[in-house]
Amino acid sequence: MLVVVTVVFLLIHLIPGDPVAVILGPEANAQQIEDARRELGLDRPLHEQLLRFYARLLRGDLGRSYFLDRPVTQALWERAEPTLVLMAAALFVAVLIGVPSGIVAGAYQGSWWDRGLMTLALLGVCVPGFWLSLNFIYLFSVRLGWLPVAGYASVFQDPVAAARYMLLPAVSLGFNQSALIARIARSCMIEVLRQDYIRTARAKGLAERSVIFLHAFRNALVPVVTVIGITTAILIGGAVVTEIVFNIPGLGRLIISAILRRDYPVVQGVVLLTAAAYMLINLMVDVVYAHIDPRIRYA
Amino acid sequence: MSHRKTAWAILTLTVLALCLTASVPDAAAQKKGGVLKVGNLGEPPTLDAHWTTATITEVLAQHIYEGLYSLDARSQPIPMLAEGMPAVSKDGLTYTFKLRQGIKFHNGKEMTSADVVASLNRWGAQSTYGKTLYARVAEVRAVDKYTVEMKLKEKTAIVLISLAIPNNAAAIYPKEIVDKFKPAEKATEWVGTGPFKLVEWKPDRHIKMARFDDYQPRKEAASGYGGRKIAYVNELLWIPVPDAATRVAQIETGELDFADDLDLNAYERLKNSPGVQAIVAKPYYWLVAVFNKKEGLMTNQKLRQAWQAALDMEPIMKNVAGGHRELYRMDSSLAFAENAPWHTKLQGLPWNEHDRDKAKRLLREAGYKGEPIRFMTTQEYKWMYDFALLSKQQLEDAGFTIDLQVVDWATLVKRRNNSKEYDVFTTGMGNFYDPTHHIYLGPNWPGWTDDEELNRLLAELAREGDYKKRFMLWEQVTRTFYDRVPVARYGDLFGLRAMRGYVKGFDATLMRPRFHNVWLDK
Repeated sequence: MLVVVTVVFLLIHLIPGDPVAVILGPEANAQQIEDARRELGLDRPLHEQLLRFYARLLRGDLGRSYFLDRPVTQALWERAEPTLVLMAAALFVAVLIGVPSGIVAGAYQGSWWDRGLMTLALLGVCVPGFWLSLNFIYLFSVRLGWLPVAGYASVFQDPVAAARYMLLPAVSLGFNQSALIARIARSCMIEVLRQDYIRTARAKGLAERSVIFLHAFRNALVPVVTVIGITTAILIGGAVVTEIVFNIPGLGRLIISAILRRDYPVVQGVVLLTAAAYMLINLMVDVVYAHIDPRIRYA
Repeated sequence: MSHRKTAWAILTLTVLALCLTASVPDAAAQKKGGVLKVGNLGEPPTLDAHWTTATITEVLAQHIYEGLYSLDARSQPIPMLAEGMPAVSKDGLTYTFKLRQGIKFHNGKEMTSADVVASLNRWGAQSTYGKTLYARVAEVRAVDKYTVEMKLKEKTAIVLISLAIPNNAAAIYPKEIVDKFKPAEKATEWVGTGPFKLVEWKPDRHIKMARFDDYQPRKEAASGYGGRKIAYVNELLWIPVPDAATRVAQIETGELDFADDLDLNAYERLKNSPGVQAIVAKPYYWLVAVFNKKEGLMTNQKLRQAWQAALDMEPIMKNVAGGHRELYRMDSSLAFAENAPWHTKLQGLPWNEHDRDKAKRLLREAGYKGEPIRFMTTQEYKWMYDFALLSKQQLEDAGFTIDLQVVDWATLVKRRNNSKEYDVFTTGMGNFYDPTHHIYLGPNWPGWTDDEELNRLLAELAREGDYKKRFMLWEQVTRTFYDRVPVARYGDLFGLRAMRGYVKGFDATLMRPRFHNVWLDK
């Protein structure tokens, strides 16, 4: 974590750009900019700023956003719900599409099912998220008027409105992510179906459905869980494009605007949170491995 | 005969009645209530009007705050929180402002001279325009509860216009807030006297303002940014929608009632969209390439003149405006046509010459040997990138070597303050309400124009009080500008907004949107 925060601090400070010039507006003169830099402590040497950053971090203080006028922790907390809801919804869609597609394609390798599903998966990987999102908006919101274009409602305050707002972003993001899950699930299934114990199961006269779901699927699941873990981590970091196109006030949108405004404390805060989430998810994935495959034991 | 007279009288009365009815249909139709949802491009850096020149802050803050003066439809100062125009002493060094009585802040407190003095002093210490005025101010003091006096060190013509400018404005805050937040510190409590009060600011979600029921409108008719203001809608909901395509889709579906800063390429689509009214916002910006005159190649005036001579502005402007003639204007005046008092119509200026031979001759005279000129632009504002790219092609055809450096906006605004890092950068110039406020003509803004003749003329303009003399001086400034070429002025680019058909009373002639006097007819 120390390495992550140090690298992020140095990277964001070393790229050119000035938060103060952005905040003060295009007509501010050099004197005003200098005064405001002094006020925010940005005129101090970089090593001094870094040491102050470490000191604050040890006290659990991520600093204060230059632009939003509030503590970074508060800014992160305010945006956590939309990102977590989007992540959960998109993950649900991705697993719902990806896992069955991969199993069917793997089980019936070379069939029309396989070709059709893998073509869809290829599309999912290749089609840019923003293009898919904009087309969904045009079709379902502008032309058909079924769903709102963009926005967010809290799932705790108005679940129906929340579902209407979340459907398009979850499907467009989930479709993109499902492609990777489907391809991994397919190759794992193919590999497992070539194993001796599958041949034995078939030789025993088990129904093909039992062979696939009881014997092959569970064994193919370990790599799939890894991919689902990676996907979750990516989504926690913020589905940047989806959040911007669908105007979801989450962490992805926060980090992009923070980078553009050079709001250093916010960028550091989001990256730190994402790094922590990666670690937590990796831990959870390891725990799930042990449940899926009893052979896996941690000392 | 008497019958004929009676008939004429009836006819005249009927026509008059018809005219009156025709002229006030809106008055009868004005409705109170509803929530007006406005989509804009992002978050303001603050709602402290004294603190930033950012346009988005101006637009939002002007619904919450008011100053002593505002601007009418001709961009001339008119009273707002001041009772009338100030009494000016014979020597022109003392301005006495009578305040309107019974004006309430959103916190319920009455506005008095103590609030005005504190606010003006804070504005004078922090705002770009405030600092310019306060360089000439000796003292601002309260004479009594409703009278404020401003004493000047030297006579100047910019007192009223500076107090009336809506950007980085001389907004009046309660004294307690001024005392709490020193000038260099952003205020985080936002209390004004305007027709709307702030209810809630949820970053990246919305800024909610509600009608201020104790607001007392002026009696004069609405004009420009001033006059009679009435909040018809119950709430203004400002929703940041960073993606321009999403804003367009949301205005089409009615999720937004008003959308600002739209992509010019959406003009045709919006015009043909049922229930949507596309609005061409003018003025918006004149496009400009700012030369670094402190160090480097562009300190050479001949080189700057060559740049100006080489450009064929019309194709550049047409392209930037997405091919729509309605979205740009070819004009050489340094003040927009909408700013009538300062709009010049000088003939024979070396603008839009597209004279390649002249450009080549000037390059030779400048001793230019094809050294690369660092031209800095950004893709964050598409129009900046487009005009820089098209300029590069034209300039290279004339013999320049252009090193186009595309960076993000935060980098550009940082680098433009360092004279070692660039030769030219792109930006846009908005409306300046007084000739002395044109930042690119002075030495304190990136590009650093420090021309003896321009400085002399601008100093004289700041002192002179007579409009006719000031206008002649302004014409001289314009001629000198085209000789010295501190920046290359391109054409005027207009902005694009859209609103739903049921939004009524919106003044589309204003450069920045205002939603007082606007109601929803649905």
